[in-house]
Amino acid sequence: MKISTKGRYSLEALLCLALLPGSSYTSTHSIAELTGLPEGYLEQLFIPLKKAGIISSGRGPLGGYHLGKTDGEISVGDILRVAEGPLEPVSCVTSQSCPAQSYCLSRHTWGELYSEITECVDNITLADLVRAYSVIDEPEYVI
Amino acid sequence: MKISTRGRYGVRLLIDLGEHRDQPHVALASVAERQGISVRYLEQVAVLLRRAGFIRSVKGASGGYALALSPEEINIGDALRSLEGDMLVADPPSPHETETKIRRCVRLMVFDRLNERVARVIDNKTLASVLGTVDPDESYMYFI
Repeated sequence: MKISTKGRYSLEALLCLALLPGSSYTSTHSIAELTGLPEGYLEQLFIPLKKAGIISSGRGPLGGYHLGKTDGEISVGDILRVAEGPLEPVSCVTSQSCPAQSYCLSRHTWGELYSEITECVDNITLADLVRAYSVIDEPEYVI
Repeated sequence: MKISTRGRYGVRLLIDLGEHRDQPHVALASVAERQGISVRYLEQVAVLLRRAGFIRSVKGASGGYALALSPEEINIGDALRSLEGDMLVADPPSPHETETKIRRCVRLMVFDRLNERVARVIDNKTLASVLGTVDPDESYMYFI
């Protein structure tokens, strides 16, 4: 039940953007240097994120990317849904396609997992990650 | 972030065996028919559950499988881990990997929390609670 590199790298790249001043654009080259992520892959990941309005881009020599909204308006769930697709652990949870759904006993477990997952990721914003980042090396930091 | 067919079918096999635990054992072919899963695939899943000690095989012409433990003793989290390998949304950092501060922040704030919540759901379930034979407080939910 893994989150793919698409989701993991997207989260890292967006936290990186959120940590930078929002007034200027940052190139994928700089983000790659700051995060250690492959630049070509970042460019691929940014296409759907831009389409979803999570980031916006500027052209030209000072071009690049910045957040498309404030960091408090972007949740981890928003990012993961764009990068990973739907978050349900089993697709039957949200679709009506399974012929066995009226009597299937396992569907309930998958549904519970799905609500835990969405509740968790929808309640963490990029702003929360930025705040955590600033205190993360302090030994008294408790999750 | 999907549970594989192995995990899904494995849980359905456990449920089916649990529902038919009044019988000494159940042929995989009849489970396959009831659940609409191919016998061949079910055999692969059964091997994993047998190795992990959740079910036992009965040899012979009219052989099959039965639960090796009572439904109360079969933890859904453990069963899923035996089928899926683990139930982590992200692996812990490998010892030779230097974790960037950004990566560490995402892990602590997102992945560790998700892992914890996933574990809480599945570790609090037994086959008995899924079958609705215990946990009267929760049983209404099975009718949704």
